[in-house]
Amino acid sequence: MKWPTAKLGYTAAGMTVLAAALAPFLLMGMFAKGFTKLGLHVDEMYSGGPIVRTIQAEGYTIGIHRTVYPHFWQTEKPFVQLDWKPVAGLPEHVCDVVNVDSAVAADGYGQQELRVSFDVPKDPKTPLHVNVEALNPRFQAMRNVGKPKFSELIVRVDDAILVRVPLTEPR
Amino acid sequence: MGNAGCTVYPGKMQPRSWGKALLLTLPIALWSLFMAMRGLMQPQRAMQIASGVTAAFMIVLFYLMMKTASTYRWRRWFFVALGVLFPIGFIHNVMVLRGSMGIPIEEMIAGRTPFCFLPIPLLILPAALTKTLVFPGSILPGGGMAGGGMAMMVALWLAITLVVGKGWCSYACFFGGIEEGMAALPKKAQWKKLDPRYRLVPWAVLLAMVLLSLALFEPAYCMWLCPFKAVSEYVAARNTVGLVQNGIFVVLFGALVIVLPVLTKKRTQCTFLCPFGAFQSIFNKTSVFDIKIDRTVCSPCVLCQKSCPTMSLTDESIKKGETLLSCMKCGACVDACPKGAAVWHIKGTEVSVKPERARLMFLYAAWAMAAMFGGSIITGGLETLLHYVI
Repeated sequence: MKWPTAKLGYTAAGMTVLAAALAPFLLMGMFAKGFTKLGLHVDEMYSGGPIVRTIQAEGYTIGIHRTVYPHFWQTEKPFVQLDWKPVAGLPEHVCDVVNVDSAVAADGYGQQELRVSFDVPKDPKTPLHVNVEALNPRFQAMRNVGKPKFSELIVRVDDAILVRVPLTEPR
Repeated sequence: MGNAGCTVYPGKMQPRSWGKALLLTLPIALWSLFMAMRGLMQPQRAMQIASGVTAAFMIVLFYLMMKTASTYRWRRWFFVALGVLFPIGFIHNVMVLRGSMGIPIEEMIAGRTPFCFLPIPLLILPAALTKTLVFPGSILPGGGMAGGGMAMMVALWLAITLVVGKGWCSYACFFGGIEEGMAALPKKAQWKKLDPRYRLVPWAVLLAMVLLSLALFEPAYCMWLCPFKAVSEYVAARNTVGLVQNGIFVVLFGALVIVLPVLTKKRTQCTFLCPFGAFQSIFNKTSVFDIKIDRTVCSPCVLCQKSCPTMSLTDESIKKGETLLSCMKCGACVDACPKGAAVWHIKGTEVSVKPERARLMFLYAAWAMAAMFGGSIITGGLETLLHYVI
């Protein structure tokens, strides 16, 4: 009988049973907390990246996100996400000129970069389509676009309408 | 209880008296009732009944494991119930919340894609290199179908893996039960000659999917190969590529989860495709419990090899007295061995010295996890069914 290893084995087995008993009360909470503390974030291709500036318009705001660049061989283009919200504050037809990089307002002050226009249907299930006129060649124009790609779309998410405008050049 | 007319082998565990079996079941009975407590205290009658039935189900199965000294036979009831009731509860929730099994792009952007354990190995490299999770979910509870978020699923996986290692595939995986149920249907396998080299395919799939997920920065397995998308959810097809992806899911599900298990009596998806199963095999090295073949008793009749649902026993491994790394501790070989040569074992101890103690310690740990995780899923599925009755 290999006593030292056998004792170690039974001790480890006993601790495993104990770990099972503690899992819902202690272990899972500890592991979940540890995971959140790793500082990981969901890929910005999905989340759209953080908002870097907000433009106040009449009855609504336009949130401008940081430019998102694809990683490695990700099959999407770099893009900028713009959020119009709240949906209830939007007119039936939105047409805004947005300066993505350094604008202070949606009314054309500063360097004009994009003219974004779309209808806001009352039924939230009605598909959205957007036209984007690129006033700066850095951006790609979009004509009657729905939601074909993560980097090129218009969608309604909760109380906002999000438009993602692709950039013409890589980083 | 007599054994008249039967050959009794010294290594084979004999059935227990009902009193002793009841006593051994007591800790699990208390645990199962504790796990069901939250559901029992809910105001909805369907939830109360579902929680009570689940607790009773888990207790009865454990009692039968103690009474008959058989593991696989009773564990399979739990596992098949888990596999059948998971899609019922899940699809119902998806239909109520979204009206479709297809995940619209809006839900992905909002981080409300439910996160199951299968993409975990695919996320490791991108997370390590760029601190980015290549999955359209939320780290914390994100509302809708996001459930408890990725952190909770990862925590559950870590806790259960710490306890049972690769046993995850027998006591926690809510997909494996479907093919185990299909494999249980025929009395005999139609296809008996399976090339053992195919067992290496999951490792190749794991390597390919991990590298592809890093290169394309997307959960490649979920996008292209997961057969269980057919019974859970899938990316809503927006173009031809989406249609092709959904076609692959359906074909793989039909072939590996429905048809092949019936023909081979094996868990073919787990054996020949699942990259998560291959990844989980690594944790058999860290788990203290395993299965051994006592060479002093073994004839060998290879009944253990034939009964193994994942082909984790070969002639060579039997000669060495051990299972392969892919063993998921389901107990099929232990139940099948007429001489009690296949035994539960605690690493560091001698083979066949108190194997029932090893089995009991493993089962207490594994069943506690099964009641906690699988039990909640079974309750969810039952509640969904009861909604239509009550």
